[in-house]
Amino acid sequence: MNAPSESAAEAWAELVTAALLGTDRRPVPDLPAGALADMVADGVHTDPADRMLAAVAAMAVARRSAFVPLPPAASLQPPEPDPRPIIPAVAAATWREIVAEWPVLEDEWTLAVVHGGWQLAADVLVATLARHRTDPVRLARVGRAAGPLAAWVAAHEPALAATGRRAVPPGAVEALPDLPVPPELAELLAVDAHTFVGALVPRVEVATPSLKPVFVNLLARCRPEVLADTAAALATQPFGLALALADLCRLRSRMLDELRPR
Amino acid sequence: MRGSTPRHPRNTVRRVEQRWSVEQVAAVAPNAAAVASAEPLAVPRRWASTGCDARAVWGKCLGSGAEPYDTMVDHSLADGTGAAWRCSCPSRRRPCKHALALLLLWVRGGVPEAAPPPAVVAWITGRTPHQVVEPVETTDTTETGDDSPPAPPPPTDRGDLDRARDERVARMRAGLTELDRWLADRMRTGLADPALARYSTWDALAARLVDAQAGALANRVRRLAGLVGASPGWHADVLAELGLLHLLAQAGLRLGELPDGLADRAATAVGWQVRHADVLAGVPDTDDWFVAGRSDVREDRIEVRRVWLRGVATGEWAMVLSFAAYQQSLDDSFTVGAVVRADFHRYPGRSLRVLVSRTKVVEPVETTDTPKVVEPVETTETIAAEVATTVAGACDAIGRAVAAEPWLERYPAIIRATPTFADGRWVLTDATGSLALAGEVDGRATLLAASAGAPVAITVEWTPRGVVPLAVHLADRTLDIGPRADPSFVGAA
Repeated sequence: MNAPSESAAEAWAELVTAALLGTDRRPVPDLPAGALADMVADGVHTDPADRMLAAVAAMAVARRSAFVPLPPAASLQPPEPDPRPIIPAVAAATWREIVAEWPVLEDEWTLAVVHGGWQLAADVLVATLARHRTDPVRLARVGRAAGPLAAWVAAHEPALAATGRRAVPPGAVEALPDLPVPPELAELLAVDAHTFVGALVPRVEVATPSLKPVFVNLLARCRPEVLADTAAALATQPFGLALALADLCRLRSRMLDELRPR
Repeated sequence: MRGSTPRHPRNTVRRVEQRWSVEQVAAVAPNAAAVASAEPLAVPRRWASTGCDARAVWGKCLGSGAEPYDTMVDHSLADGTGAAWRCSCPSRRRPCKHALALLLLWVRGGVPEAAPPPAVVAWITGRTPHQVVEPVETTDTTETGDDSPPAPPPPTDRGDLDRARDERVARMRAGLTELDRWLADRMRTGLADPALARYSTWDALAARLVDAQAGALANRVRRLAGLVGASPGWHADVLAELGLLHLLAQAGLRLGELPDGLADRAATAVGWQVRHADVLAGVPDTDDWFVAGRSDVREDRIEVRRVWLRGVATGEWAMVLSFAAYQQSLDDSFTVGAVVRADFHRYPGRSLRVLVSRTKVVEPVETTDTPKVVEPVETTETIAAEVATTVAGACDAIGRAVAAEPWLERYPAIIRATPTFADGRWVLTDATGSLALAGEVDGRATLLAASAGAPVAITVEWTPRGVVPLAVHLADRTLDIGPRADPSFVGAA
């Protein structure tokens, strides 16, 4: 027999050591005197392995039940305060939809947050940090939208920190990236809704699916004022491309509404 | 002390589940790939002349060949005979993907009750001539499109049912005894035994427990296998789990000596199945339930979703469990942060696990297409603020729950605390103490960003390896940050 352990922690450590080697090579340690030791002793365990199992079970239950907190810890130094309001919950949900369905809108969405005087919500911030940590321009845009919190989170969670130190070209953060639009469609970027719909819908009707990126780029960069009418017109068309583009129009329109400056 | 005769099951074989769960289907599959290949076939359009009764499920699978495959499965695990399958396909794998697909279709309610056709009756009768086939309530053959004559009235010998129940109890007791012997052998040879590093060691044990119809213990063993070598202190983690397995084995062998509630919970933890109908027949807990958090955990071939709900009036916790095999959908009917008025029926022994019989969303009405974010609702903010406890309070509640049910693996709490980094690890802290944080980077980082270094109300899920943050309850929204199933594994809801 071993001398009984002084504390539960020591007793558990001894049990782990004995279990590691096995009772064929190491005697079963005695538990500290008390209720646990009595309970284990009450069982009729002639076999050391059975006695070991009983002791392990009793200690495991006691350790989990006697669940006590660790000592209080110092809080982190908080980030600089950001007076901007956090984006509405619906805007955060729209961001997820954009990322899943129409990522072409994400840059404009982030700029709309900045221009609307909003601050990124925590869940969107973490997702965007993870998403753009290798893209210095988009990461800088996220930093602008999230304020001091972005750098603070990245400092504490290295998995979200930027990779590399590539420079951000001047003006790149504020500008929307160019999307290729053919000249015959580019002239629609500045027209009114009636003209836009009249010119676009017949083209979509005869378009092949391979032309979808062209129309997507156009609808991602056209004037927001034309989106509602365009969505309504496309939604009446009985083919998939038109319906998909109508969905894009509605989503872009909604995103801009949700992030309208306060 | 009462007699040592197991009191569980208390009444008759009717206590046991007759319709399987998806988890059980996956458990009988030879491997995960078999379930995956069965999944596309588990749709009604691939089947004709399907039907099921209390003993079997059958149908014709429309494959690529000219002739459909005749598939039938004896699902009467509850009768003590064990499951069996028969299919006219050329596959040598048993159960084949057609049998698995038929089971999946049946589990999802896609197979109508019907009288078995003569071929099924003959097969069932030939397998086990003395087994009882319980009468089916629906015998309208027009529902199945099956024009075979109705089966003769099945026998209803209660003595056979009792014998089947006794056989099952005996099988489970034998399995528990073997488990305890296996555990003792591990104590004898030691945790340094290289055999423990091989998954096959644990898988073989789990398979034997499945055979003994102790499915819950089998799952526990498979989870335990994942601890081996997973951390520098894995020996201690594994040892504690082995101790709890011993406790469960002993509890399962002595159900008759345990207090009522504990016996019920021990029986469930061992794997004794309870019919949904029996659970739903109990008196419900009716309340407005605050959906406090959600966590998805992959367990072997199954994704398990736990939704934790707290009764607004009673303050009691409840947990709704759902499962999804490969490319199946998890239950998305509860939105974290919402309040639902619902009738919850608890599993025996006032278990945390409940079945839902009636729900109505009280607050908030979901206004977005995604379940991730809930619109500002004063009600939920107030609930979280009111029930959030201190770190010490949470430890006390968790300790009490574990003391009452020592094999508990997860328990929820709502805490007002601050995430911080101390002594090389992330913790939740307040003036009363700290709790080690477990879980994934994304959830922790979102918690950190939401708190910005200040205290916030958080739903956490206690596990033996730390608390996992599930939701952050902010003034204007609730963020669902619990571990989420891999979208490449589960299908869209």
